[in-house]
Amino acid sequence: MSLAKGGSTSKCGDGCRPAPFNGSPKNRRRALLLAAAVPVLFAVSAMLGPSGVGLPDTASVSGRAILDLRLGRFFMGMLVGAALSTSGTVFQAILRNPLAEPYVLGVSGGAGLGAALSILIGGAFIGAIGLPLTAFAFALLTLLLVYAIANQGGVPSVYSLILSGVIVSAICSSVIMFLVSTADIEGMHTVVWWMLGNLQPASWAEQFVSLAFILAAIVGLWLFAPALNVLTLGREMAHYQGLDAGVVTISSLLLSTLLAATAVSMGGMIGFVGLIVPHVMRSIFGPDHRWLIPASAIGGGAFLVLCDALARTLMAPVEIPVGVVTALAGGPFFLIVLRKKMKYAWID
Amino acid sequence: MPGSTDRLKPALAFRGVTAGYKGRTVLREVGFEIAEGEFVSVIGPNGSGKSTMLKTATGLLKPLEGRVELFGREVSSLKPRERASLIGVVPQKLESPMAFTVAEIVMIGRSVRGRWGGPDAADHDSAERAMIYTNVLDLKDRLFNQLSAGEQQRTALAMALAQEPRIIMLDESIAHLDINHSQEVLRILMNINREEKITVLLVSHDLNLAAQIADRLMLIDKGRLVRNGSPGEVMEEELLRRVYDCDLRVRRDPFSGNPVVSGVLDAALRRPPARKRLHVISGGGSGIELFRRLLIEGFDLTAGVLNRLDSDSEAARALDIPAVLEQPFSPVGGEALSQARRMVEAADGLVAGLVPFGPGNLVNLDLAELALKAGKPVWLAAGIASRDYTPGKAAAAKARELCDGGAVEWSNIHELMARIEQTWPQPETQH
Repeated sequence: MSLAKGGSTSKCGDGCRPAPFNGSPKNRRRALLLAAAVPVLFAVSAMLGPSGVGLPDTASVSGRAILDLRLGRFFMGMLVGAALSTSGTVFQAILRNPLAEPYVLGVSGGAGLGAALSILIGGAFIGAIGLPLTAFAFALLTLLLVYAIANQGGVPSVYSLILSGVIVSAICSSVIMFLVSTADIEGMHTVVWWMLGNLQPASWAEQFVSLAFILAAIVGLWLFAPALNVLTLGREMAHYQGLDAGVVTISSLLLSTLLAATAVSMGGMIGFVGLIVPHVMRSIFGPDHRWLIPASAIGGGAFLVLCDALARTLMAPVEIPVGVVTALAGGPFFLIVLRKKMKYAWID
Repeated sequence: MPGSTDRLKPALAFRGVTAGYKGRTVLREVGFEIAEGEFVSVIGPNGSGKSTMLKTATGLLKPLEGRVELFGREVSSLKPRERASLIGVVPQKLESPMAFTVAEIVMIGRSVRGRWGGPDAADHDSAERAMIYTNVLDLKDRLFNQLSAGEQQRTALAMALAQEPRIIMLDESIAHLDINHSQEVLRILMNINREEKITVLLVSHDLNLAAQIADRLMLIDKGRLVRNGSPGEVMEEELLRRVYDCDLRVRRDPFSGNPVVSGVLDAALRRPPARKRLHVISGGGSGIELFRRLLIEGFDLTAGVLNRLDSDSEAARALDIPAVLEQPFSPVGGEALSQARRMVEAADGLVAGLVPFGPGNLVNLDLAELALKAGKPVWLAAGIASRDYTPGKAAAAKARELCDGGAVEWSNIHELMARIEQTWPQPETQH
């Protein structure tokens, strides 16, 4: 795989990616493949589980329950994966940093703290909309805090943003630790299990609210796609290109924070999806966000569903937390992709 | 579409603009106008406020006081898209962390038109025109990150052109390029300016480059506009010395007539350690090659008496050779002559060039006599008779007298060097 050599030739050798701005047919084909993976995964998901491989017997009550559970997991996986991955894509674009993701900026940590608080204290009161909203509120507060710490007059630099994000994130997780250590046994168990990351279907109401949030945020971000393309050239260039860089930055930060918070409130702390899926998708579809955002959403969902299917079958009847699988499966995969294709996705 | 009335308004106007950052004022009461179609360069030392001026002009920075107007409208009142259809900016260095191709980057310049979907035919046309103009069409499928610095800058320029702006501003965009690449970008800029009538504002710390290309220079020092005029008016030795706080020299380029600045350091460093000191009698351009050659050979030189405005006196000044000067077209007076005598006394020898002699400069031959009497070697350009315009051929007579007294004649520089070598053999070079 090498770029067309010889400088002045406009011929595109194999491996040379033609501009997706021209609606590259290659990208269309790849997008079709990706979309086709979803029903396949749906089927796979329905057939895998700790109770055995194969479609459950829908004639029996328990079989129907198992199928329900499995399809619920599929739905959760798609939603959480799409949310985490899209949010990571946008964070990377806005901060122009390949390491950016909701965790790095402390957003997930804040959302986790909010969610832990509402699980431990709020209990049953919060209802379907309460958990994601509390998580969002805390994530937003964390983002503001991070911004305030990083802001030393003028617009904060990416480095100070990431640095203060890491600090705030660490603070959030120690507060969660403190909460866990002082909680009663039942609360402790719930929070720890939730923190490890799992896609146990939430109530239908909660799933519906999350679906609404996530869909709205992804569509909103997709509308910002051309602006995000410009923003990758830096805020100053975006200004010169006639973009209200402040408005775009703030609204897309808000939307991706909403995504991250909703994902955390649904599935707990699932790492790696927000970091690696955007990179993989960028290396396949190129950096144009009009392709990248939907691709990241579908790719992130598919990746998480796959990891979850593995998590519940590999050591059946014991279930591995899905966060462990994403990291174990994602890490090496990420390294391979990074070595082979990174130069098409991001400069070193 | 641009209205017809704003054609008469200046493309860019600063009216009493004070600007800066939190707690730090950078620009102070800057005022100027740039007419549409002009090519203006903003120069000044590092940290003088050039970039701040550009940021203020593009509305990235709001002025603390005063108004910034683009085609008669206050910049801050423009909608972002309107602003981007008026100004295109080429940054110091365009950085695209993600792997966009050249065509994609240029097409971003069209995204200001605000369509979400793919580009239409007009967008393609405009982007392609911009790429042809900047000679990057062949690179369109290459990744921007993998281009050379010069190619990247041309791509950035193409992106700005694709905005179809009426004024293009460049922020030190050429400074870090090799001479061939910077020349190419400059040529493109001149074409844009002349053919497309796009106003160009080039911020540069390279004075020579600015003077070479711009119709007008604006010199900024410590946040103030200290001079605003033609390159000749701004590139003034005294002014630049004060602003840049260093010794420098302004000459005219012999080919283009452009003022050229150079530091004094390089002339001083070029010389090998001095061998002997020679006093040179010349005039009318006969000394230029002589000075150059003798300096290269490692001699310390003095010159005179020369007339002011004589090209030899300009050359002596440029080469840092101490010279005695006399008013133009006047006979050499007593004061100048005694000064020249002191120079001859301090020298180890004397060389007379192919200078024509008239009554005004005949006394210069007395200097040669003085040197001979002091036992110093004298090298005289042969054929004085043909250059003798004195009444009664006094110079030729004097020359014969000098030759009888021991002066050596030479007819070309090569011969002169050989004769000097005979008198003062070079010490064996040590390796």
